[in-house]
Amino acid sequence: MLKPVKVTAELKQNPFTTITPVQKFNRDAILQTNAETIAGVAKYFSGVLIKDYGGVGGLKTISVRSLGGLNTGLVYDGITIADAQTGQVDLSRYSSVFVQTLELDQANPSQILNPARVYASASILSFTSSSFRPAFINQEKWITGINAGSFGFWQPYAGISMPVGKKMSLSVNGEATWSQGDYPYLIENGMFSQKTTRTNSDLKSFQGELNTLNIFNDSSTLQVKGWAYFSERGLPGSVIYFNDVSAQRLKDGDFFIQGRYRKAFSGRTTLLASAKYSSFYSRYTDPNFLNNAGGLDDQYTQNEIYGSGALSHGIGNHLIISFASDLAYTTLNSNIPHFAEPRRLSLWNNLTVRFNDSHWQVSAALLNTQIHDQTQTNAGTNANKFTPSLALGYKTNAGSPVLLRAFYKEIFRMPTFNDLYYTYNTNINPKLNPEYSSQFDLGLTFTKNLDSRVRQIQFSVDGYFNKIKDKIIAVPTQNLFIWTMKNIGKVQILGVDLNAEAAGRFSQQTRWSVRLAYTGQQALDKTDPASPLYNNKIPYTPDHSGSGLATIYHNNWSAGYSILFSSSRYVLGENNPENEMSGWNTQDIFLSRQFDMRKIRSVIRLECNNVFDERYDVIRYYPMPGRSFKISITINNI
Amino acid sequence: MRKISYAFLPFFAFTFLLSCSKESGTVAPPVPVSTGVFVMNQGNYGANNTTITYYDFNTGAPSTDFFRTTNGFGLGDTGSDFIIYGGKMYVVMNVSGYVAVTNSVSAVFIDTISFKNGTLNRGPENIVASGSKVFVSSTDGTVAVIDTASLTIEKFISVGSNPAQMAVSGDKLFVSNTGGFSASFDSTLSVIDLHTLSETEKITVGINPGCIAADEDNNLFIACTGDYASAGPRLVKLDLSTKTVTLSIDSAYQTIRYYNHTLLTTGGYLGAPKVNVLNTSDLLAARPSFVTDGTAIQNPYGLDIDPVTGDVYVGDAKDFVATGEVICFDKTGLKKFSFSSSPGVSPYKTQIIIR
Repeated sequence: MLKPVKVTAELKQNPFTTITPVQKFNRDAILQTNAETIAGVAKYFSGVLIKDYGGVGGLKTISVRSLGGLNTGLVYDGITIADAQTGQVDLSRYSSVFVQTLELDQANPSQILNPARVYASASILSFTSSSFRPAFINQEKWITGINAGSFGFWQPYAGISMPVGKKMSLSVNGEATWSQGDYPYLIENGMFSQKTTRTNSDLKSFQGELNTLNIFNDSSTLQVKGWAYFSERGLPGSVIYFNDVSAQRLKDGDFFIQGRYRKAFSGRTTLLASAKYSSFYSRYTDPNFLNNAGGLDDQYTQNEIYGSGALSHGIGNHLIISFASDLAYTTLNSNIPHFAEPRRLSLWNNLTVRFNDSHWQVSAALLNTQIHDQTQTNAGTNANKFTPSLALGYKTNAGSPVLLRAFYKEIFRMPTFNDLYYTYNTNINPKLNPEYSSQFDLGLTFTKNLDSRVRQIQFSVDGYFNKIKDKIIAVPTQNLFIWTMKNIGKVQILGVDLNAEAAGRFSQQTRWSVRLAYTGQQALDKTDPASPLYNNKIPYTPDHSGSGLATIYHNNWSAGYSILFSSSRYVLGENNPENEMSGWNTQDIFLSRQFDMRKIRSVIRLECNNVFDERYDVIRYYPMPGRSFKISITINNI
Repeated sequence: MRKISYAFLPFFAFTFLLSCSKESGTVAPPVPVSTGVFVMNQGNYGANNTTITYYDFNTGAPSTDFFRTTNGFGLGDTGSDFIIYGGKMYVVMNVSGYVAVTNSVSAVFIDTISFKNGTLNRGPENIVASGSKVFVSSTDGTVAVIDTASLTIEKFISVGSNPAQMAVSGDKLFVSNTGGFSASFDSTLSVIDLHTLSETEKITVGINPGCIAADEDNNLFIACTGDYASAGPRLVKLDLSTKTVTLSIDSAYQTIRYYNHTLLTTGGYLGAPKVNVLNTSDLLAARPSFVTDGTAIQNPYGLDIDPVTGDVYVGDAKDFVATGEVICFDKTGLKKFSFSSSPGVSPYKTQIIIR
């Protein structure tokens, strides 16, 4: 029998009522996107560009509001996943099969009690697994299924969650993916044009998780997760005219174990303690590389140990303050000759104060970040910075459907290990500074529940202005093999994000939902007024992009349509016709039917993706698949 | 291109490396070639944007993307060298793995010569001509002998590790073995006898030998880049009659060209980005800069001399990402004219059109 406890944490808010923009996909919405990984779901957020290098195994990284992939933090079940080597995580590794929610927060997390590291990015992409749901702690739930689709795609999976005693639940899930990736594409080059198929684009991967949830007598909770991922894939590389052969392969073995302990004390204080150990191994081989050793075989191991303690405390009726302190120690080893073997000690301390009354919500935070690097060869770089943020929300009265909001945030991103210590680039710049961004946002949201056919309607519009200075750019020197990383870039980004959601019922058996997102933006190079690049749009920042999802549910059937589009963009800093790539759009549909038999539910689902067979590249010379099909069968207990 | 082909692989974030020369909306019809120069613009790795610019002496205007407008297709990726010889133009495509052959005046496409070893790209790098043959060095350690009449590779001569630049002197062909793709650099030149078409010996000159220039007195000059760490760059003078290095100075030069008892050079790794003129007698600068009128050059990359007039064409690559510019100076270092290589990036080599 659990003791009663006062709820002192904040309620999870409707994304359209937060003072910093939040977009969220729940499990049902994730399914509507037909996406295999969280990268595919994230494409439907406004303000997001997913740089997709093609195919199931192709690299996918996120850039939010044109700040670049190194400025978005990735958080899984409350704890940051980071890659100090490249600074961005390949989102194609995180399958959507067992994901419960995917959320994008601008600036700061919507929930105040979080590790300090979660406050240390310009935006946060967070996802949660289906396993940690205290409501189901006493139930046994299992699910299994298989997805199969074009280009040799097979994905079987299974998961089970069961109570262990009265206070604990244990869940295990796993999935395997095979994909041949041999999709057709077109090379357009005059008399040498040809229709061909993507080769060396295969993927084999296995992912498994073990989660435990303990609820103690004092209602405190402990969540422990062990996660492992193994993959082997071909890297087809960019399309090179007259030479489309690639033998590059990539093997990965990633593992982490993390835990979160949350305890609510009387007196409105809550503690959140988190810890994690992770080890990521990757092996890149290229037997065609013309060196004396018969090719390249580069192996990297990145290890990190991380801990965090956070406290929040409510004062009076209007104030909550929270303080968090995090520590991480990250190391990178490699078999590459003369490797610097960097070690990075990171400390984050964050203080947040939130105030709210019937009209105002205010959230102010101050983050201190300290970084100390050490290498084999010489001392590494260091940093010690304070970065503030402030968010405001205003409602004319508590019942008003309109919320006005604004935020300001300063953040920096540390140069990555590659920026600082990459061995093949021997012209190391030890004075490489962090890259700074200032973010400004002004917007409003509207939320209304109606009683008619349209049950709920909500939209938000946010104008934003971001400034980047000391942007880290690779600058070639006289010798093209040797590049220097320099802080020379300045970028200014002006944009607007629009989001709208509506849902309703046509009748007792039939309901519908619609979701739209749009981003208009201009990201300009402001580095050097004397340069021909000045005021040019920076690469891969389309003026217009957006998405739409429409789904209808009727008894046991559901069907949906989705669209993604992007206007034209430039692929190099100089905006000339040679560097311009045309816009694109893709449209997907799905149809699914649910069968309930006693205690078992089965769902069969058919998808057609890129219905009109649009041939496009997101990143030039990395072709994307044309039309493809998928069938899924899922069985679970109810 | 050496390590660049691997060095960029983990730089996924740097998408400015990737571009495409997709057909633009409106393209001007090709201008008939009268008299002028062709310039090969290297482009960026993985961007398929190697282009040829035609500059007409009469109109004083450059024709952009001349190869594509003439032939309807793009050359491909990372052109590393080209020459005009015997009525033909040969463009060496390092990453696309072939040599494109065209008419040397009209630039109309004739044929491709593949540099694949099975499916593996040999990485053709540099091209020189002698007699009825042209020679192409490849990263896989070979020099290909191409007959200019049949346009076929007759023979592969094995040389050292990762050969790059070449030069002909007398009846011999000299090849720099850089070893640039491997853990440690090479330091030799391979000597090929042009009668037997085989390697006869290797001569040690300096770590990571690069560009070679030959004078009329049986000397070779080699710009060695060093190992980017403890061994610094040097310029050496090799006496071919004794096969010994007679002069060696600590200086960073990239491209070196011989003209009338001087060497013109661009600055190399750790070197200042300017065009230098050195005396071949002592390898020291004849004056502070080749340029005598103060014309600014951001990043001199290409350097070619018209053997008849002594005019010097400098390809200014600027930042290697934006379009470049070619500046023509007379032999005293005064600017004559310049033109944009747009849309070409990194103008690397200029060849005079011979009618």
